Amino acid sequence: MRSKDWMRMAAVLGVALILGAASLVWTAEESPAVRAEAGQTEVPAAGGHSGHHRPPIKGSDRYQYSYPGEKRLAVREVFDPVPPAPAPAGQKVHEYTLVLEENREHEVAAGIKIPAWTFNGTVPGPVLRAREGDLVRVKLVNKGSLPHTIHFHGVHPAEMDGVFEMVPPEGEYTYEFVARPYGVFPYHCHANPSSQHIHNGLYGMMIVDPKEGRAPMRELAMLMSAFDLDRDGEADFYAWNGKAFQYADHPVDLEKGEKVRMYVLNIFEEMMAPHIHGNMFGLIRSGTAKQPHELTDVVSLGIAERAILEFQYDFPGAYMFQCHFSEHMELGLMGWFRVGEKELRAGESGEAAPAAAVERSRARGGYAAAKGSR
Amino acid sequence: MSVSRGKIWLSALLPVVLLAALLVVFWKTSGGLRFEAAAPVEQIAFERIVFKPQEGGPHEKQIVAHIRNVGPEAVTIAQVQVGWLNRASWEFRVEPSPTVERLATARVHIPYPWNTGEPYEVVLFTEKGLPFSHKVEVAAATPEFSAQSLGAYAMLGVYVGVIPVFLGILWLPFLRSLGERGYGFLLSLTVGLLVFLGVDALSDALETGAELPGPFQGVSLILMGVAGSMLLLSSISAAAKRRRATAGGEAPLLLAYLIAFGIGVHNLGEGLAIGGAYALGEIATGALLIIGFMIHNLTEGIAVVAPIVRARAGTNSESVAWTHLLWLGTLAGAPTILGSALGAFAPSPVMAVLFLAVGAGAVFQVVMEITAQMSRRGGGIPGLLRPAHVSGFLAGLAVMYATGLFLAV
Repeated sequence: MRSKDWMRMAAVLGVALILGAASLVWTAEESPAVRAEAGQTEVPAAGGHSGHHRPPIKGSDRYQYSYPGEKRLAVREVFDPVPPAPAPAGQKVHEYTLVLEENREHEVAAGIKIPAWTFNGTVPGPVLRAREGDLVRVKLVNKGSLPHTIHFHGVHPAEMDGVFEMVPPEGEYTYEFVARPYGVFPYHCHANPSSQHIHNGLYGMMIVDPKEGRAPMRELAMLMSAFDLDRDGEADFYAWNGKAFQYADHPVDLEKGEKVRMYVLNIFEEMMAPHIHGNMFGLIRSGTAKQPHELTDVVSLGIAERAILEFQYDFPGAYMFQCHFSEHMELGLMGWFRVGEKELRAGESGEAAPAAAVERSRARGGYAAAKGSR
Repeated sequence: MSVSRGKIWLSALLPVVLLAALLVVFWKTSGGLRFEAAAPVEQIAFERIVFKPQEGGPHEKQIVAHIRNVGPEAVTIAQVQVGWLNRASWEFRVEPSPTVERLATARVHIPYPWNTGEPYEVVLFTEKGLPFSHKVEVAAATPEFSAQSLGAYAMLGVYVGVIPVFLGILWLPFLRSLGERGYGFLLSLTVGLLVFLGVDALSDALETGAELPGPFQGVSLILMGVAGSMLLLSSISAAAKRRRATAGGEAPLLLAYLIAFGIGVHNLGEGLAIGGAYALGEIATGALLIIGFMIHNLTEGIAVVAPIVRARAGTNSESVAWTHLLWLGTLAGAPTILGSALGAFAPSPVMAVLFLAVGAGAVFQVVMEITAQMSRRGGGIPGLLRPAHVSGFLAGLAVMYATGLFLAV
């Protein structure tokens, strides 16, 4: 290579460098980093006055807080949040049969079906209800492949405690005890390893009413639990009554002025903090008092702790009910009360929603139990 | 004759036909085998996470997960969670369909209000309840394809690939002034540089290859890339030499082009990695990295021109035309441009592994070529082990190591 050639090549490279630098200046005007920051500053402050921005939370199908009934993906079957009505006075014996199955399909969140262990086919099991002092008979039919039990909370003899009395596969056993005291109680399988038997879905709520009963109200039973699908020690979904977001997909319809009694139970191994929006509730811890002893809007429940919350809504609209632990809420422990406009006449706040409200609820795709559905 | 040929064909086809028949029977009846998996076997691989600043409006930032079903059966995405401090269930849309066939890809659009600089995790749940997650340490807006952003990534390639190679080539007049011993040192230095490059590329390929989903067989892919490029280049080089019938087998320009090609493929793989890392916001010290690559790749220019330093002293060749130098530099450096643009806009780990392996194979082939040439010139193995050569080789490794210190990715 002659030195002239070398000079020529150096000249070409020099021109290339200058062109390169020029194009760099051009491209730098919109480099990715610069654009990202610009994107940040363009977002107006919350409540900004520019009318064409939709609010990011309510009324938008974005960012999770879908307005009631607007979810694209919804669980197919909703767990009935209405407990059985109190037994009529004079019924001295309450008989239940709980059929236990293993690996029954359970839709834990919209579109996700897992094999669960169930009492009567659902997670949680059915709400049992009795009056204080009455006899309760619960027949366990074990259709699983492992021994199981039912352990009840409350006062009863040792052999009815469901810890030693394993019911073998294909076996049956009838637990019999006098319901006392009145209150709200969990029941669950106590076969070892209990962690597995409970986690897989073998739990439910039992309500024991005072002898003279409680004032009639619209009643809801809400059990809080969680599901660790990949068994990594961290729950993947949290839920009211076994299905994440089911009452967000299918809101619970209430009426303005309607008195509501909500039975709440936490059966998961973490603290839970049930909280209702736009309202305060009268708190009866463990359900073991006749009148509320505290007015609040959030209560902490450790594992197996429970409470009765009594409230009524003064304004119509949609109100969230959630676990106040953000993670629990974001993973499914939230739902909506949809409070209707209908003003209830004094004395009409019966134990079931008025027929008109039920109709309206069905028309809107929400959830409300029909009167006397049990 | 024709009968026996028919028989030969029959004997060749018979096993294939029988296998096909057996497969059909097995597919229809399971052949009497009853295997049922105790747990669902599903596998989802994340190929890319895109952070979109906004789509449709300022409140509608998006995270888009590009996924591939690498399990044995179709999977259906049923739920999506986005993890920050904790995971949160989120709305999503899967294109083209929530059900993803085996080895097919899909895009999961999540309208999530992500913030620059925060860590996020995307979790997909299949309808059987299996979670698959991918963490992004630092979120940043993913560059979108446009003339300007393409220009930016092309410039990145020019900086880290083209410019350093040409700067190295500009040393040619200086290299020509070297004496015989200096030339031996230079060739050995080149061998050292290339060996370092090859090992580096191979280790990158193995690292990325190990992360590839099972069906893509990362290590086998590397074997194919390395063996394929080595044998193909050897074969081309041998054919070219036969045609020229140069007695000593010395074809300095050909060797230079082979080196340039090997380095070019290597740079393509390197560009893919750099462009991809830039696009994913994984490179914190961008400017420093570019400087590092410029210094590091300067040595590649020396490697390219090393065989032609003595071209004038060769048997019959004139001095090498300067246009050849332009072509050599372009062949070695320009693939970085293509690589960084592809890495940014169409990243494919499979492609990256393959190119890194092909580059490694090409570089190793050139190492063999140069070594053979040196051995012919200088009297076999003892000649190769002269102090000038050994020190040159070690210096080559040392230079690469030292300049590699700038590449703190």
